Amino acid sequence: MTSLARKRQNRWNVVVNIVLIVLVIVWSIPIIGLLISSVRPQDDVLNTGWWTVFKGDGDFTLNNYRRVLGGRQATFTDAEGNVLRASGDNLSQAFINSFTVTVPSVIIPILIAAAAAFGFAWMVFPGRKLFFTIVVALLVVPLQIALIPILRDYMKIGLTGSYLGIWLAHTGFGLPLGIYLLYNYISTIPRDVFESAFLDGARPMVIFVRLVLPLSVPAIASLGIFQFLWVWNDLLVALVFLGGTSDVAVLTQRLANMVGSRGQDWHLLTAGAFVVMIVPILVFFFLQRYFVQGLMAGSVKG
Amino acid sequence: MKKAVVVLLIALVVLPSAFAAGQADTKQAEKKVVQVFGAFVDEELRRFEEAIVPFEERTGIDVVYEGSKDFETLISVRVEGGNPPDIAALPQPGLMYNFASQGYLVPMWDSLLEAVDANYAPVWKDLGSYDGVPYGVFHRVNAKSFVWYPKKAWAREGYEVPTTWDEMIALMDKMVANGHTPWSIGIEAGGATGWVGTDWVEDVMLRTAGPEVYDKWVNHEIPFNAPEVKEAFDIIGKIWLNPKYVYGGTNTILTQSYTDSPRTMFENPPRSWMHRQGNFVTSFLQDDIQANLEEEVGVFPLPSINEEFGIPILGGGDQFVVFNDRPEVREFMEFLATWESGEIWAKRGGALFPYLNQDLNAYPNEIERSLAEALVNAKVFRFDASDLMPGQVGAGSFWTGIVDWVNGKNLDTMLSDVQKSWPK
Repeated sequence: MTSLARKRQNRWNVVVNIVLIVLVIVWSIPIIGLLISSVRPQDDVLNTGWWTVFKGDGDFTLNNYRRVLGGRQATFTDAEGNVLRASGDNLSQAFINSFTVTVPSVIIPILIAAAAAFGFAWMVFPGRKLFFTIVVALLVVPLQIALIPILRDYMKIGLTGSYLGIWLAHTGFGLPLGIYLLYNYISTIPRDVFESAFLDGARPMVIFVRLVLPLSVPAIASLGIFQFLWVWNDLLVALVFLGGTSDVAVLTQRLANMVGSRGQDWHLLTAGAFVVMIVPILVFFFLQRYFVQGLMAGSVKG
Repeated sequence: MKKAVVVLLIALVVLPSAFAAGQADTKQAEKKVVQVFGAFVDEELRRFEEAIVPFEERTGIDVVYEGSKDFETLISVRVEGGNPPDIAALPQPGLMYNFASQGYLVPMWDSLLEAVDANYAPVWKDLGSYDGVPYGVFHRVNAKSFVWYPKKAWAREGYEVPTTWDEMIALMDKMVANGHTPWSIGIEAGGATGWVGTDWVEDVMLRTAGPEVYDKWVNHEIPFNAPEVKEAFDIIGKIWLNPKYVYGGTNTILTQSYTDSPRTMFENPPRSWMHRQGNFVTSFLQDDIQANLEEEVGVFPLPSINEEFGIPILGGGDQFVVFNDRPEVREFMEFLATWESGEIWAKRGGALFPYLNQDLNAYPNEIERSLAEALVNAKVFRFDASDLMPGQVGAGSFWTGIVDWVNGKNLDTMLSDVQKSWPK
């Protein structure tokens, strides 16, 4: 590379970096605002914007978090030293519920999708193309139109309000995308890998467990993130199939109800939003290496 | 590896079914349960649960309340999906008409009917009826025709509560002369921006045109842009569109949230001096004001304009309707129709009840007592018109029409646009 070309390359990199930095800042500002609002007292939040804290006025408090995380009766002290008692939102139960819903709703569809993708990609059976087309076509069907028919069937077999019911619902809604994504990845695994295994007399199940699953980890991880975020952030499916009583309510339901019947408690929503965000952010950071890999793997076929 | 996967798969299949089975078992073994589904959440949910404790203790029936902000969507999905709650608390009569006309609801039975006849003014039974058949029982209701003011600041300035509309206008001019801004009005409410304005229009309509014209307007027997409606807008416009009368002028009307708006009265010095809103406004106020409600906050009913109609009260409320007819459900409905079901909540504050035989002393402060008194004694009570009109208008073009009008759109054009949006 000549020095001129290198210089041009460097200049180009600077431009890209500046654009990226600007984008990151623009995208982060609302979140920073939310974070600052969540540690400000209620009256301040309602009277002045969050940016005024940079001028040095206003106090900070963890009361919002205390109220959000506390049990039914949270006790805290306000700026003047008065002890206030207010009903807390007891998010811990909702946390457990959210995990109970989310973890199986991620594992089950991934296992099924991986097996199905392997079958579609490498096993020969009549109607393979047709079935795969049908599965992919299901991607365009909005899940809302399935709510009422599924609910009716669930009523008949007594699945409404049970965790199994919502796991199956999320599995069904998540499968088309999962199969499609994993198919794109698994079909790119070199044929030689399978051929030598077949020659050694390995049955498809062995190939799937010993070869396909380990080789597809990046794609599975990226699908896992997608499915996790979707289930974790889902409100509609949970409300319809699980219901919203406090023993089964998931985090999104508690968050939606936190603002009060007339939206008067939105200062609590700031803290609640951060509590709910923690888990997806952790999951994303732990898996983000795979996330980028997996996305690329799924998109560039060949 | 293979074994592990098989074990995992088996575990996944067995565990949840064990779960489901366990749930079914406990349901049978446990006491009778009544499921109630409604739109109110959070603080009000807890108050409701407290209020029904006496019933649960007396009868051993477990009443499970579930609240959701997405109630309107969910109740339709659940009912259509064959999974209705035992009882639903419907915030809008229109929903009740829907379910009743499709035959989903259980009409009131004799003993409940007797209780409703004895404990409520006839207007509540009418509001809970579809096609002459009563279905809905009202519990907690709200009343909106009230003007709130900062009591201490008023006393300092020597302002007195007006008893007629003209007195109120005179008071407003006096405030302006003193350099004060009479009203704080904020109608921002996210996707529901504008409803505060519809309440004003309805209140003034009831005062100028009377309840009969109001009913015709709601039922679309007179067009939406009838002269009476225009007159109401003109009266309101004299206040709303006059920047001297409203804190921040039309700009603030549109952009200030209705929950923040009343707080401007309790700053030092007050940025505004009056605010028209329902009984629920107190929960929006600053904590220290809420703690000394009686000393800090004053309230009077929006004065009458035409003596003939007195001081009508505009309001609303959730009506409880039955989907599943079971003895324990009936028992709970009959409980809801009595003052006993409201007493505990009334004592905690923040709620009004329509029962004729209620004990006004139960309310924790003078403010709520006077609101309840005004509600029970009102000669004319009408349900919020925008909740009764078809959704396209009552939760659509009427709201946006208010916004457009405040924004400077010609009144006649706006009214005829809303009229055009009325479903045929």
